[in-house]
Amino acid sequence: MITIILVLLIALSVFTLQHRDLLQGVVALSAFSLLSAMLFYMLRAPDVAITEAAVGAGVSTVIFVWAVKSTDRKDES
Amino acid sequence: MADRMKNNKISIFYKLQIFLAFAAVAAVLLPVFLNDSHWPVFARDYLEANGEEQTGAANIVSSIYLGYRAYDTLGETIVLLVAVSGTIGIISFTGKNLATGYNEDDFEGGNRKNRKRTVLMEVVTGKLGPVILIFGLYVMLFGHMSPGGGFQGGVVIASGIIFISLGTGGSENNILSHSGVLAKIEAVSFLLLVLASAIGLITGIGFFANPFNGNPIPPVGYIILLNAMIGLKVGAGIAYMSVAMLGDTDL
Repeated sequence: MITIILVLLIALSVFTLQHRDLLQGVVALSAFSLLSAMLFYMLRAPDVAITEAAVGAGVSTVIFVWAVKSTDRKDES
Repeated sequence: MADRMKNNKISIFYKLQIFLAFAAVAAVLLPVFLNDSHWPVFARDYLEANGEEQTGAANIVSSIYLGYRAYDTLGETIVLLVAVSGTIGIISFTGKNLATGYNEDDFEGGNRKNRKRTVLMEVVTGKLGPVILIFGLYVMLFGHMSPGGGFQGGVVIASGIIFISLGTGGSENNILSHSGVLAKIEAVSFLLLVLASAIGLITGIGFFANPFNGNPIPPVGYIILLNAMIGLKVGAGIAYMSVAMLGDTDL
């Protein structure tokens, strides 16, 4: 189970780095945070899991979406 | 032809960069994985035996970051304070409205297409916000005996405040969606945190030493106090940042 989650984490981060649409990248990053919160919970660190779920999947996603909204949605480089 | 050669050169350089990054990660991580000596267990065993007795917190993580390492926690809160100040400085320098369309009155000529706030969003966030706020208070105040603590509870409280300020549409009767109020809460709770850390200086037991020793308040009271201060500070600070980004601010 832990191996599956780790492989999914690598896949999601590669998707986030390589994708041209920044909004989809932000959503993938949020899924990354949710999966790693699950991983932290399975490794018996519920404190870190709460923080990761609240900060990574919640607040930082909102801030990234606002940043994408007030700049460009497409990655140009 | 020259263009293709240039592209080729860049791509070789890019691959070299990736290879170097992996090599650096391997150089750092492989010695950790490959050596077969045991992990040091002295600190772990010491905390397991004495942590709850010395600080009164059943949650060992809390007893470390508010008991043995409280000084580092003060530094973390200062880092967060600097981050919030920088963000607010940038927002007030570049203009007040980063996210247009979220306010009641800034969509042009009643054109509902430009309006980002929908009825569905208002109803859901307005009803869900208070529940999340109560859950955040629970995580914050019970951090000494269950998973959680000031930072975790504070971030959950910040999510609740953002939900409330989205759900009520920045109306005047909701005090938590005004950024001035949030800034005052953050400043006052940081001041109280510094004062609470200085109690030990007055009584002569040292900076961040626990002033409660069981009569009448048990030692865990100090951890609950610090957790509440840190939670209010983190929650108000992050909510202040996000409410200022939403645009309804009196900066």
